[in-house]
Amino acid sequence: MHAFHIRYHNTQGTLMRILNAASRRALDIPYVHAKASGPEHKATLLLEVNVKQIGQLCRDWHAIVDVTDVSVGAAPESRDDLDAEPWAISHPYTSRGVRDASASAARA
Amino acid sequence: MLKGAEIVLRCLRAEGIDLVFGYPGGAIMPLYDALDGSGVRHILTRHEQGAVFAAEGYARATGRVGVAMATSGPGATNLVTGIADAKMDSVPLVCITGQVRTAMIGTDAFQETDVFGMTLSLTKWSRIVRTIEEIPEAIAEGFHWARSGRPGPVVIDIPTDIMKGKMEFAGAVKFIPRAKPAEAHVQPGFGETLVAMLRAAKKPVALVGAGAKISGAVSDLRLMLDHLKIPTIATVHGLGAVPPDAPYYLGMVGMHGTRASNTALHETDLLLVFGARLDDRVTGDPARFAPDARIVHFEIDPAQLDRVRACELSVIGDLADTIPAFHRDIKAASLPGWSEWLAIAAGPERAELDPRGLSQSTVRFLDELFSRLPENSFVVTDVGQHQMWAAQRYRSSFPRGFITSGGLGSMGFALPAAIGVQMAKPEALVVCVSGDGGFQMNIQELATVRRLNLPIKNVIIDNKYLGMVRQWQQLFYARNYAETDLSDNPDFVAIAEAYKIHSFRLGEEAMREFPVTEQTGDVLERFLHSSGPELLVFDCQPEANVYPMVPAGAALSEMLFEED
Repeated sequence: MHAFHIRYHNTQGTLMRILNAASRRALDIPYVHAKASGPEHKATLLLEVNVKQIGQLCRDWHAIVDVTDVSVGAAPESRDDLDAEPWAISHPYTSRGVRDASASAARA
Repeated sequence: MLKGAEIVLRCLRAEGIDLVFGYPGGAIMPLYDALDGSGVRHILTRHEQGAVFAAEGYARATGRVGVAMATSGPGATNLVTGIADAKMDSVPLVCITGQVRTAMIGTDAFQETDVFGMTLSLTKWSRIVRTIEEIPEAIAEGFHWARSGRPGPVVIDIPTDIMKGKMEFAGAVKFIPRAKPAEAHVQPGFGETLVAMLRAAKKPVALVGAGAKISGAVSDLRLMLDHLKIPTIATVHGLGAVPPDAPYYLGMVGMHGTRASNTALHETDLLLVFGARLDDRVTGDPARFAPDARIVHFEIDPAQLDRVRACELSVIGDLADTIPAFHRDIKAASLPGWSEWLAIAAGPERAELDPRGLSQSTVRFLDELFSRLPENSFVVTDVGQHQMWAAQRYRSSFPRGFITSGGLGSMGFALPAAIGVQMAKPEALVVCVSGDGGFQMNIQELATVRRLNLPIKNVIIDNKYLGMVRQWQQLFYARNYAETDLSDNPDFVAIAEAYKIHSFRLGEEAMREFPVTEQTGDVLERFLHSSGPELLVFDCQPEANVYPMVPAGAALSEMLFEED
């Protein structure tokens, strides 16, 4: 199970677009919580996904106009700990970075 | 004081819009009432789907935002296929829908639908306007998102009371997007990395998609490819981006791509992707797609990365920026040549087979037709066998010249889209190629063609089947032609004549001689160069198939050919 924090401006439909990214993949959403968080809002989702889906979902969320940040991590054992966020790291907007590819190119 | 509807139109003018496509109805009547004298010309189609496809055609031909208008309820739901189509093919589109009065929203009022909700997963951005004061901001923001980054569709839903209300209008506003902390930019140093990957590559291939055209990067792309001289292939939306006579160009790739393109893609060890989504029609079986390749993906929309295969290097940004940057890097670098690989990839053993069998006459017909088109002509196709034949035979270096519904594959697209193209480019020759199935899905738009006297040259490739489905039934469903028989088609010539559009049939026997006889040639010339609209019905062999074909779920190397 993975947990995701999605930060967004609470404009019309943004939360629904966030949820749609999961529902269109026929993923169950056993936990979702959205609330105001500073000047933005934050949605927290628990999803059973594989590594490829994590990348797809995070990039889809980043592509939503009013999403500002996406973090992901292994779900903590207790849902009480979900809000703490130390378990989550920001998911990059892109896939592999140049540094990774440089090393790979050098190995080739 | 201006009415909300007048403010909407003022804001559209401020966005450079002087032409919209639509269909009136109850909830959007205030907007129609304000059209006269607004400077916005409205094109009445005969169905809302016709309006949205026409707006798409306008946008695809020009790169500008297309605008469609419809009323609430069924008017709005009839737009939905076009909105989905624009999302898949990255078409900048703004749809303005009327909505029931604010106080009635949520009551299941007459002609109320939640168009905002139903299009959330299809739009890039959308908004229900709640007060008259929001109108300028909503229009400005909608147009911004429709145009920016990867273009796409936007819906702005305006309740009828908002359009009837009045306020002092201070002028259109400019939308300034909020900064996104995670905004992607081109990562410095990608050129150096890429040069290293190129140096290590023995069989590099460039794959060109729509992004090169949408970004306006075609000139830079061609310069870069002329420098690299590696085998180059195109998606159906990439057609026209690379001159078809370039010695390194191998043609269209994918399910009905050329044998040279699909083979090169299967064999490559370094795939450079320029603005393509790599959808399943391009990749075949994802697990066996370019099995030996490292992939470098030039892309403006990070959401398109790694959908099918993880890329080794993503180069995020507008191709108009990243391609010149890449070109500068490779010009400064010492690279190996790939002439031996190119000689194999573009060699005679991989050349296309001459058209043969049941498809021969149709392929010859399209060759004869397309060879007579001036360079800056538009070919607009519907969806199905004729679409793939047309894509295979299209030979033009006019980047926006081939217009088709690629991602969504929406039958009924071609005729209304051709209307939009012709409205955008009144001097251009616009040829609309449809099948007998798809043509009937928006056949009512012949009335729009007639009303505007648009000189669109319509072609129906008539095989009296839903041909592509029938082909699959033949090949993969033991010839069980379930519900694909259209042998009771109406008389298309008589229908066109009823719309006062000159029409005639051309039998496939006209293509037995190739090149065609002088007489047939004259028929085609008159068809293409008459001053008004035309309809040509070409009798296609009912069981003609499109080859090569990569069966669904097969690897690109597993093409079927006609002799198979």
